[in-house]
Amino acid sequence: MYGAQNALGGEVRFSSWLDRTKFQGGIFVRKLLLAVLLVLSMTLSAVASPAVVSPALFEEIGTHGGELVLGLAASPRSFNFYGIIDNAAYTILYNIIEPLVEENPATGEIIPGLAESWEIDESGTEVIFHLRDVAWSDGTPFTADDVVFTMEHVVMNTNAEGNSADRFTLGGQPVLWEKIDARSVKATLPSPYGAFTRVLTHALMVPKHKYEPFIAALNEGVEPGTINQAWTTDTPLAEIVGTGPFTLSEYVVDQKVTLKRNPNYWKVDTEGNQLPYLDQLVYLVVQDDQVMLAQFRSGEIHRVTITGQNFPGLKREELDGANFRVLTGSPVSPVPSPPHLAFNWDIEDEELREIFRNDKFRQAIEQTIDRHRIIEDVYNTLAIIPGVPVLPANTAFYNPAIEDIMRQYDLEKAKQLLDEVGITDRGDGVRVLPSGRPLELTLTTAVNVQPHNDIAVILENEWQELGITTHLQLISSTLVGQKRTAGEYEAIIEAFGNQPDPQLRKAIWQPGRSLYYWHRSTMDENQQPVLANMEDWELRIFDLFELGEVEMDPVQRKAYYDEWQEIYAEKVPVIYIAKGMELQAVSKAIGNVFLQANGQIVGTNYTAFIK
Amino acid sequence: MFQYIVRRLVTMVPMMIVISILCFTVIQLQPGDFTTQFLTDPRITPEQVAQIRERLGLDQPPALQYLTWVKGIVSSGDFGYSFAYKRPVQELIWERMGWTVAVAGATIFFSWAVAIPIGIYSATHKYSFVDYLLTFIGFIGVSIPSFFLALVLMYLSLRLGGTAVGGLFSQQYIGASWSWAKLMDLLRHLWIPIVAIGLSGTAGLIRLMRGSLLDVLGTQYITTAKGKGLSQQVVIYKHAVRNAINPLISVFGMQLPELISGTIIASIVLNLPTMGPFFYDALINSDQYLVMTFLMLSAFLMLIGNLLADILLALTDPRIRYE
Repeated sequence: MYGAQNALGGEVRFSSWLDRTKFQGGIFVRKLLLAVLLVLSMTLSAVASPAVVSPALFEEIGTHGGELVLGLAASPRSFNFYGIIDNAAYTILYNIIEPLVEENPATGEIIPGLAESWEIDESGTEVIFHLRDVAWSDGTPFTADDVVFTMEHVVMNTNAEGNSADRFTLGGQPVLWEKIDARSVKATLPSPYGAFTRVLTHALMVPKHKYEPFIAALNEGVEPGTINQAWTTDTPLAEIVGTGPFTLSEYVVDQKVTLKRNPNYWKVDTEGNQLPYLDQLVYLVVQDDQVMLAQFRSGEIHRVTITGQNFPGLKREELDGANFRVLTGSPVSPVPSPPHLAFNWDIEDEELREIFRNDKFRQAIEQTIDRHRIIEDVYNTLAIIPGVPVLPANTAFYNPAIEDIMRQYDLEKAKQLLDEVGITDRGDGVRVLPSGRPLELTLTTAVNVQPHNDIAVILENEWQELGITTHLQLISSTLVGQKRTAGEYEAIIEAFGNQPDPQLRKAIWQPGRSLYYWHRSTMDENQQPVLANMEDWELRIFDLFELGEVEMDPVQRKAYYDEWQEIYAEKVPVIYIAKGMELQAVSKAIGNVFLQANGQIVGTNYTAFIK
Repeated sequence: MFQYIVRRLVTMVPMMIVISILCFTVIQLQPGDFTTQFLTDPRITPEQVAQIRERLGLDQPPALQYLTWVKGIVSSGDFGYSFAYKRPVQELIWERMGWTVAVAGATIFFSWAVAIPIGIYSATHKYSFVDYLLTFIGFIGVSIPSFFLALVLMYLSLRLGGTAVGGLFSQQYIGASWSWAKLMDLLRHLWIPIVAIGLSGTAGLIRLMRGSLLDVLGTQYITTAKGKGLSQQVVIYKHAVRNAINPLISVFGMQLPELISGTIIASIVLNLPTMGPFFYDALINSDQYLVMTFLMLSAFLMLIGNLLADILLALTDPRIRYE
């Protein structure tokens, strides 16, 4: 059993006597234990205590009333969290439905959500969740049946287009869910799983009594794909119930989504006042970000995310006394995704393939990237040197040792390294491959992502300096994605979002996985890893991810991922460039949206209020 | 006349079939399909993507996909299912029809109501200062893209202290029941899209009206009419304009599909809840049956518009007979 402060679970119940009893084993003891748990959970359910929200979310205690108006870049395509991949829908639904365990929005640590506590057994494979005594917004009690149903038939249902089955499958075996009583649920893991509570923060609970008719496994004559047709945009809004701070009250197609406060929400502020403060939360659908900004300026929208390009203008307006504040937060969230440069290790051209696979070549290229200049020119200084790829603000996993391993901009050293690789100056400034062919690279990136474009142009100039000719291929981001998947590129600038736990991104960073795209031959056509095709250090990374997945001790897990970051920094399979800061502008009329001491932006919809 | 209409309607059927095959081919030529977006999502495994493709029928040969779609339309009036919205496409299109037709209708009305009088004035006062001025404005209207004009108008409106930027209503009136205040709010917002989108059409129509009327004014019967001592008003409005309007009626028929497709970029920039941005998204996402249905509707309106124009021509001009 791990302590209360570990990365696994913020407030795991610490009950060592239970462990000892369990440790002695025996069926009788187990049953006794279960009985104790039952009594315990019954006493828990007798007290429906509201939960006090972390003080870190407050700048001041708010007052009730008013409405907050936010912008939404597209209409929601559905209200079914698991039926689609759609950020607009996710944005809305995070106000309506909730997970068993949450991430503290200010600190990132795991805190209780719909499960008010949980305990993990000695082996790390059994987790018992004790559920909070709350009700769905239509009055139906939230119970263990909802949890088991959501996990088994919705979250882990591979027919749902937005499912997360992969995150709850370990070594091909699914996590099993079992109801103990109305208020407790047991999860049985095939093996210990270090990121278990972290992945649970993305598994939002849906009501069984509303979703059940759409599940093929529970209804005859219902097709497997029907799960995706639950809660479409024509569903009567009263059907869409949740336990969250808001409920849907109106949807005007392509124009506006209105949510009103859930009067029975279970969170209270530090003085015991019921949350949320707001009466209404309004999302206006505004596709064009310039129009969104114009609406923010005119006061119609209260809070927007802005880019480095808009920053100087807005900041000036703020200093001139405009009715808003511009917040520059240090990067903590996955977006904006930090761009990286990658080479295609499986390209048909044998000579190029060989140099792309050569560590020294990639290390030379890393030294042609002037990250400071890019941060200044491309991001208006509003960016930081990225991790590889763990964000420096992520204290649970960031390894500061990589800062000394990452190579600085140094064209002379780059030239030396290229000479060592055999890419030499033939006398007229043109660098040639060992065969005598001039080195020319096609650099592919998205034309509609401004920073990637600008970075590509800067790289073209640096490489020109070195004697390498670059052909820029600037195409739409969709096409870039397709070329990447198909392996039709030489060099590419791409970006993947950061996640708090590396486990959540193993599909990208672990060799042999589907998004380890620069070295696709590490995976066969059945999507299985091919160890034989991996370099020694790739094999080590592969092992580290496997080890990190089943390790429960957070200290040991960090050690595994520390080593991974060091190998990445040393071998540069991909070269990280920069991470944009989180920039927002918020109306002065809105309270509890602020920069906390560590430079991160804090502000949730359930703690915001109108001044 | 009746026979003629029936014949035209019947020939539309093969025409629509050819158009649908062309549209479907173009959609299939687009690289990737709806499931391509899943490939970049770390949560979804490639096996699951294959499963989704199979369920949506995207693993079948294109010809079979096309025939299944056509069969649905013919047998049950089912135009297919939107992959993105998980709903029947006709419902989705219908939801957006109201505002689309209203905004486009108002825009078309604006451009005609402005263009015809100006065209007549320009023609009857040709080479005057006002004629040059109006012609100049007309050229600007033709050459400035409507989305750009929309941005400029919004910027000016914002600079002059207006708050009506984008959309059709202020936030609090969206979804509210109709009232005098809501109508006023609509009018405060509506002028920008009407002017921005309407101006390019207006400019074209002015030039057409002017040119056509100038041709007619040069004919001998107009000289005769003037010679008989008819008043300027009667000569122009009763004789010249009625004859000069024919080419405009043909143009009118072509404008019918614009009711739904309109100008996509301008609608996105203006944040209008119309079909344009919706269609654009469907294209980007390869939501193929939604795109198909939309294109077919657009083609159908084009054919109907042409037919209507021909009928109108017959009604306005006794010289035209379809027998």
